[in-house]
This record gives sequence, C-alpha cells and structure tokens, in this order.
Amino acid sequence: MTLGNASTDPLVKVEDIHTYYGKSHTLHGVSLEVGRGEVVGLLGRNGVGKSTTLKAIMGIVRPSQGEVLFEGRPITHLPTHRLARLGIGYVPEDRRIFRLLTVMENLRTGLDRRGVTDARKKQLLEKVYDYFPVLAERRNQAGGTLSGGEQQMLAIARAMMLEPKIILLDEPTEGLMPRMVSQIRQIIDVLHHEGAAILLVEQNVPLTLEASQRIYIMEKGVVRHHAVASKLRVSDAVIHQYLGV
Amino acid sequence: MGIPLEQLLQAIPFEQLLIQTVNGIVTGMILALVASGLTLIFGIMDVVNFAHGELFMLGAYVGVITLAATGNFWVALVVATLTIALLGAAIHVTTLRPLLGRDPLTTILATFGISLVLQNYALWQFGPVARKIQEPFTGHFTLFYLDYPWYRLVIALLSAAIIGALWLFLKFGTYGIWIRATTQDRVMAQAMGIPVPSVLTVVFAIGAGMAAASGVLFGPLVGVNHAMGLDWVLKAFIVVVVGGMGNLGGSIAASIFIGLMESYASLWVSPAQAVIFSFVVLILTLLFRPTGLFVPTPK
Ligand SMILES: Nc1ncnc2c1ncn2[C@@H]1O[C@H](COP(=O)(O)OP(=O)(O)OP(=O)(O)O)[C@@H](O)[C@H]1O
Ligand SMILES: [Mg+2]
Repeated sequence: MTLGNASTDPLVKVEDIHTYYGKSHTLHGVSLEVGRGEVVGLLGRNGVGKSTTLKAIMGIVRPSQGEVLFEGRPITHLPTHRLARLGIGYVPEDRRIFRLLTVMENLRTGLDRRGVTDARKKQLLEKVYDYFPVLAERRNQAGGTLSGGEQQMLAIARAMMLEPKIILLDEPTEGLMPRMVSQIRQIIDVLHHEGAAILLVEQNVPLTLEASQRIYIMEKGVVRHHAVASKLRVSDAVIHQYLGV
Repeated sequence: MGIPLEQLLQAIPFEQLLIQTVNGIVTGMILALVASGLTLIFGIMDVVNFAHGELFMLGAYVGVITLAATGNFWVALVVATLTIALLGAAIHVTTLRPLLGRDPLTTILATFGISLVLQNYALWQFGPVARKIQEPFTGHFTLFYLDYPWYRLVIALLSAAIIGALWLFLKFGTYGIWIRATTQDRVMAQAMGIPVPSVLTVVFAIGAGMAAASGVLFGPLVGVNHAMGLDWVLKAFIVVVVGGMGNLGGSIAASIFIGLMESYASLWVSPAQAVIFSFVVLILTLLFRPTGLFVPTPK
C-alpha cells in the first residue's frame, strides 16, 4: 500500500479491474482515471459494462481482480457507505429514489451526517432548491410521485448532499424531454465550476463531448479508446466504429 | 349451524358483548406489541425471526430476576428491555450479519437454531417450573357485572404507547429515515453513506427489546416458563401474515381484528377452540390475499 500524494494522484484511478456477475465475466480489465474537478465521459454501446464500471468504483460490485484508488489510496475493499462518506456521490441509471420517502427525507439521507453544522445543512439545501426549484415545491411529497425528470433532479440533488469530490452520473438524460436534458446539461456545468469531478456515462454523444474534458470509449468490457473531448467530433470514425448503430 | 343469527344474538346479553369487545381490544393491543417487533424485523431486514418467542420468554425471565432483586416492576421492565435488546444486537452481529445477502432460507435456519438454543438454555438455567411476575397493581374496576383488572387495561395502553413511540422514531429523526431508506433500497442507502449493517443491527435490537417488553408485561397474566413464547408468537406470526408481512400498520389492525374475533368467538365456543378461527383467517388470507388483508391492493 502506497501513501497517496494528494497533489499528483488522480482523484479516482481504476486499475485493470475484472468483474463477474455469477459466471459471466463482465469487465475484462478496465482502466481509467478522473482528475480533480475533471468531467470525464464514458461512452459505449448497450451492455458493454459502463454501469458496471461505476458500480465497481462505488463498491456495489466487487472486482475479482484489479484495484480502485481514491486520492491515491486503495478503496476496493471498503464498504459502499464508507466510500460515500469519503466523497463519492452516485446517481444510478434507474435513479433509485426512495419512493416512500418525501423529497426532503430523500435529501436528508445524505445530509444528516456527522460533522455537518445546521448552518451548512441549510446552505446546501438552499443551493439545491435554488438549482431545482421544483424540488422545493415538492419537498413534502413522496419521491415516488415525482415525474421522471423530477426524479432525476432529485437523484442528482441527493448525491450533492454528500458534498462529493466526484459524482458518478449514469445516463442522467435517459428518457427525458429536451427541456429537462438542457437543465441536466446546465447542472453538470455548475457542478464542474464548483470543483466537483464527474464521471459521466451517457448515450447522448453530442452532450457528452460538449460537457466533458476527456472521453473513454468502452467495448465488451474493456476501454478501447481514450481521447481529449475537444478533439472528437460526433462524425469521427471512432465514434462510428464503437457507438454507431 | 341452523340457528338464526337473531336467536344467537338474543342469547347473549349486551353487556357481555361489550365486555368481550374490551377484552378483544386489550388482547389485540398486547398481540400488536409482540407482532410489531416481528413485522419490523421482517419488513426491514427480510428476516423471519423464529427466535422472537424466545426473546419474549428471556425478557420475562430477566424481568423475574430484576423484580426479585429490586422489587420494582417498572425497573424490571426497563432492565429486561435493554438487556434483551443488547442480546439481540449480539445475536445479529454474530449470526445474522454474516448471512447478509445469502438465501433467506439460511436466516430462517439460523433464527430457528437460536430459538432452540435459547429455549433449552432457559430450561437448563431456570428449570421447568413456571415463575410468577407480580403485577405492579392489583386493583379492579367494575365493568357491568364483572371485576375487570386495571392491569390489563394498562398493558393495552402501554403497548399502544410503545408502538406509538416506535412509529414516531421511524417517522421523525435521522435514524428513522435511515431505517426506512434501508428498507426501500439497501444498496442505494449504502451509496448515500448510511451504515446499513449497523442500521440492521439496531433494528434487530429494537425488535428484540420490544419482544422482551411484551414478555414482562405479559408475565403476570400467563406465568413465566421456557415455552411461554410459543403460543403468543404463533399468534403473532398469524397476525404478521394477515396484516401483510412487514407492514406495521397492517399488523396492528390485524392484531385487533384477531383479538376481537377470538373474543367474540369465545362467546359461543371455548377460548381454546376460538383459536381455530384465527387459523381459518390465516388460511383464507393465504389463499385469497397472500399480500395481507390490511394492505392497499398493489397497483
Ligand atoms: N445484475 C446483473 N446480473 C447479471 N448480469 C448483469 C447484471 N447487470 C448487468 N449485467 C450484464 O453485464 C453486462 C454489462 O452491463 P452494464 O449494465 O454494465 O452495461 P452498460 O454499458 O451500462 O449498458 P447500458 O447502456 O444498457 O446501460 C451486460 O451484458 C448485462 O446484461
Ligand atoms: Mg448502464
């Protein structure tokens, strides 16, 4: 075990991880890294293992081989709740709102933790209510009664309650109306400007190229391509090769 | 059979009907206290706790011992609740936590094993002769022509108060939110930083403490022996199924329903036979509405 050097280590480093669902080998040695405050896109066709990569970082799926490092320290064997407290926020693709909890209670699952003063809690709540006014309106409504777009906002707002250093965002615009999509796009920029890193899994290629600094492209459980986002175009051959239908 | 209902009702004096109503509600509330610990553990942990009756019984024994030492019933109640809650936490950490994520059958076998160990421990430690817990007061009030013990009424009220406190605990406060979030989505709860393994231990401890409290409250009515858990827990299982597994409100409604039904039934048949009605309700529930009688129809 090496002691990390906070200034030079990437925030999150995934080193050659392999995962299995039962007997099926899903990730075949995925490696990637996300720097502090960096927005990194993770693209790939359906079923290539993007969500599994996020779950492996979050400790929800345990790699059988390989290591995940956070600020230079191995975290592969820490329980998921410890990772959340270390500063990894998770917004899963199916949103996973606590449907019977109110909007406010959903937010409190992340907000009520040791070391957060009441003043700070208030500040954090005001911030998300400012970004997502609809959540303020619906604060006493059960999470399950929200529309799909509202649930997506709640899922992001809930992760923000942890004041994470990185947010793992899994297909946040999936199935949303264009107006909602642009709102999600804006919130990605806001989080970026506030200094949070984001690992963004998306099917929306133009949005991902715009929002990210770097892009990884996966195929069949491995990362096939890595590029600076500004050097990629939607029309590029690699995009067509790995993402085209 | 064959007797017109009117004639049946005429045979029963109105006062007796009222007395049985009071009786039914009182029994139902006590049953609700036993059942709510069981349903809490099932609803939140997906664990069918076959050792619930033994925690109830050990609670009563701790009550007997503390009462002998201190002479104060209420001290005995609190000490028994806390002791058994701690025992519950220890059982959870050593036996159930390692089984997390395994087939639910393994937890059934584990709790069944624990129940055998605890029951035989009690038999070895305390012997087969029943002990008595003296009720804290012995007064009666007159309910029509009957002397009705105040104590029974007080247990019903205390049961209601304890269940009410549990509800408030779950509804408000951070820990209640953690528990409810854990129930709904254990993985997402962890991803929000909720220490799920500790939450589950706390829930098991609360369930165990509630079983112990009912054991002490009940001691004066039934006598304390190593097998006292069986009857009540069997009935509590019926209530939990009829009320909808894991549904706290449903269990309370079902408890009162079963309490009243057995109470009315014993106007015609002996109390021992009245139990048959509960089993009939259980079977009908399992046949026609296996999600429980007292839950809204799932969409
Ligand atoms: N819980 C599971 N059990 C078994 N197999 C699974 C499970 N979750 C995912 N898989 C399989 O693992 C592979 C990778 O799934 P994953 O969800 O990581 O893909 P993805 O890239 O996120 O796809 P999508 O774009 O559809 O979200 C797929 O073949 C999928 O069917
Ligand atoms: Mg996915």
